[in-house]
Amino acid sequence: MVSSVAKKRACYKANVAAKKRPDPFSPYLSDWGVFAPLRLRAQTIAEGVYAGMHRSVRKGAGVEFGGQRPYVSGDDLRFVDKRSLLRHGRLMIREFETETDRALWLVVDATASMAFKGSGPGSKYPFAALCAAALGRVALASGDPVGLVVLGGDGARALPAASGREAFERMVWTLSAIDPSGDWTARQSDIGDSLAPIHARARRGSTIVLFSDLIDLPEGTRSQFGALATRGRRTFAVQVLSPEEITLPFEHHARFQSLEGGVVVDADPSAARAHYQSRLAALREEWSSDLIGRGGALVTASTSNDPVKIVRALLLGIGGARA
Amino acid sequence: MSFLTSLALLVGLLAAAPLAAHLLRRRRADVITLPTASLLVKTPPTVRRRSALEDRALLAVRVLSILLLALLGATPFVSCSHLALARKDGASVAMVLVVDDSMSMRARGADGKTRFDRAKSAALDLARAAEPGDSFAIVLAGSPARIALAPTTDLKAAESAIVALVASDRSTDLDAALSLASDLLSDARQIDKRAVLLSDLADANVAGPVLDVPESISLWYPIADLESKLVPNCGIIAANRLADRVTVGVACSQEATAARQVRLIAVGKTEPIATAELLPGATSVTFDVASDLESELDAFLEGGDAIAEDDAAPVVPAASGMAIGVVSDAAATRVQTGGRPPVEQALTALELGSTVRSLTSAPEHEADLTPLAGLILDDPPGLTPEERGAIKKWVERGGLLLIGLGPRASTAPLGAGFGDLVPGVVRFTSGGPKGAKPQACAFFGESAEALTELAPRGRTSLEPDALEGAETLCLFSDDRPFLIKRPMGRGAVFVSLLPFDLETSDLPLRPAFLALLDRFVEAARGKGSSRDVSAGQAFAFPGAPEVAGDLMTIGSKDPIRLLPNKVAGSVRVDAARIGRYRFVIAGEPDVRFAHVAESELNLSPRLLAPRSKDASLGGEARKLDISAHLALALLGLLVIELAVRALSAGRAASEKTAASV
Repeated sequence: MVSSVAKKRACYKANVAAKKRPDPFSPYLSDWGVFAPLRLRAQTIAEGVYAGMHRSVRKGAGVEFGGQRPYVSGDDLRFVDKRSLLRHGRLMIREFETETDRALWLVVDATASMAFKGSGPGSKYPFAALCAAALGRVALASGDPVGLVVLGGDGARALPAASGREAFERMVWTLSAIDPSGDWTARQSDIGDSLAPIHARARRGSTIVLFSDLIDLPEGTRSQFGALATRGRRTFAVQVLSPEEITLPFEHHARFQSLEGGVVVDADPSAARAHYQSRLAALREEWSSDLIGRGGALVTASTSNDPVKIVRALLLGIGGARA
Repeated sequence: MSFLTSLALLVGLLAAAPLAAHLLRRRRADVITLPTASLLVKTPPTVRRRSALEDRALLAVRVLSILLLALLGATPFVSCSHLALARKDGASVAMVLVVDDSMSMRARGADGKTRFDRAKSAALDLARAAEPGDSFAIVLAGSPARIALAPTTDLKAAESAIVALVASDRSTDLDAALSLASDLLSDARQIDKRAVLLSDLADANVAGPVLDVPESISLWYPIADLESKLVPNCGIIAANRLADRVTVGVACSQEATAARQVRLIAVGKTEPIATAELLPGATSVTFDVASDLESELDAFLEGGDAIAEDDAAPVVPAASGMAIGVVSDAAATRVQTGGRPPVEQALTALELGSTVRSLTSAPEHEADLTPLAGLILDDPPGLTPEERGAIKKWVERGGLLLIGLGPRASTAPLGAGFGDLVPGVVRFTSGGPKGAKPQACAFFGESAEALTELAPRGRTSLEPDALEGAETLCLFSDDRPFLIKRPMGRGAVFVSLLPFDLETSDLPLRPAFLALLDRFVEAARGKGSSRDVSAGQAFAFPGAPEVAGDLMTIGSKDPIRLLPNKVAGSVRVDAARIGRYRFVIAGEPDVRFAHVAESELNLSPRLLAPRSKDASLGGEARKLDISAHLALALLGLLVIELAVRALSAGRAASEKTAASV
């Protein structure tokens, strides 16, 4: 267990080291790279993504027949299919689909670790912001309101779910104005506070998507995020990592230090690579199984991937879960 | 050292550069920022450690390279201390190295090296710097001076002979050594003839003439600071045991003013049997020991001084000392002034280092004669058969007998003749010729001249049997024998045809008488009858068919095998070291002793001819070009660096392959 003093010291040393020499792995200088400008890039990506109409998954009273299902105790007797009862002698319930405005809530991680760039075309945060903006653009184009919550970062704030062109502009402006920062490894309450607006405002059928590296988040983040998947809401997560974080391509023994939590490890990458990748896979598996269990899904992304494919995969995931 | 030399050598400081770079590189650990560092586990830095080892090898190679480069740059200016002679017009040189191997050369300098080591090193320098055409010879100045290597142009043989030189405990004889060197050089064909003296000049003959060689030979004293310094030094010059008393004689240099401890220790033991303090100025210490103590003893002088080797000596049992037995009738040979018989007084006055034992009659048992090196019978009234038998056996085993025959000898009772010692009838007749022939009496040396005035009242005559096989040492003026020597076994019988009393002749009052006794005692010592000699003298075994022996030095447990020499039919063994010499002579054990000569404790240097220190003869400094060697070493280092790099690259490639698999 690393003491808090040691953590602070390590953070301080990391800051000092970062300021002293230009480093492709510089932690606090978020590099937008090819992901800028966010507004134009998001629009471009959104146009490249299939922008199909969302079908409401809320079944019940509505205008369009949505199929039958066996009667279960508690069902409204007004929807019993009398013809089926008379013809087959079975109690069946008629369901109708209703066209609703299903809000999309975007939760973007802007803690310090998201400033990491590595050998990718840009830092992790710009990539996550781009994907989030593109997804929001698609949603807004479909008439769904989009809300935004940012975890960490300077000047972070939450935007309520809103529709229209102005909502996109506000979202883009908000995401562009944020510099990833802050060590949230021990800030459980902040996670709860940040997700509270979604708890309070997200209606039934809302979709909540978390863009994060899922690293160095406070303990209980997964459960708190999973707790949003109630009352017909679904949760998805996109894990954004740099290529180095995925493959650990280093050759020589070195001292590795994290951007949050003050973790410092002396390791020989060639010897530790297999174990590292297994732990990374285990982390993904934990999130994935938790999300799938709640009707959601986990999408993994590298900053070197094409954002269009990520957004499309996310939309397919959302669509698949709904079906 | 010139400015350029300093500048070139300063380049060597750059050797610190790769070292500093290496250290900086080691300190600067590779730090990598990785948000997912928490997923890593700590692993031992195996690869890094090996690379560090490789780096160390490279570092060593590079540092060495820089140092060699600096040295290479300074080579034209660097002077290596190396003794070398200066040649006259590049001509060949005939050189005799006079190396002093005496005890005083064992003194150590501030650098811990003995004077002998320095002399040997200088001799090696000269031999290695020699050129084809030069001739070398080596003369050792330890007494007796001797030739260790006859003149040769085989430089490798000269080098080998120098390497084989060992220090000894001998005294010094520089005059004889330089004389030998001069003789060797006189026959040399080279024009440039050098006698190189490698000695501390301490030969205890400070008042002697200035050391020099003939003008045609250059005397060179190349190491000026090898000259002996007046430092405190003491040594044990004698240690004798008589029954329950041990006397240890010590001599010190004038500079030795501190009290010393003297210890007696049994051979093979470490605890002293007795300890006594030697006060400043004292020359001997006496110990009382148990009379039944049978152990061999060694005497040690505690407390260090200039020469440690002379601080120990074996204790010589009384029976082993050189003793001369004298049988003389005090009543018949009395002197008007009183006192002992003339022969005893003369022996004592000569101070020949022997014990004079006055005997009332000739011994009848051989055992009684064993401790004696010589026996003098002054006009004995014949010898009984027992006495004759015992003396004959003793003489045949190496004893020396001197008989002065006079009136009493001629009137010996019936059956009390001299048997084989002096065959035939002994007759004494009154009157006789005046004096002896000096030219026929070389045995007496310069004293022979005085024998012309010899006026005996009578003389003894022998039968021809007695003269058969005898060596006549001196003749009367009428050509009849005065002194003869009859060899018998390993010993000999000296027969004087005049007795040693003042009634018959004035022989005892003449210098020739002292000369006679001196030669006799010297002959006894030369026969090897003396069992305690100074280092450098020889034990002689005339007539002994076979002699084998070992030397046990003081404090050593390993015997040194002795190699006897046969000189003129007599076996001799040089006593070059202090210690016990254990011999087996014709199957019989015999122990003899050697101690340091008193003269060797005098460290005052002898005066040397000033021309011997002329700088034109040579010196200790010579520039040495080692550029070729350094260049080769640099090339070697380059090859090593390439090999290390190739090895490192090969390992890295194999590791990469293994990692990718």
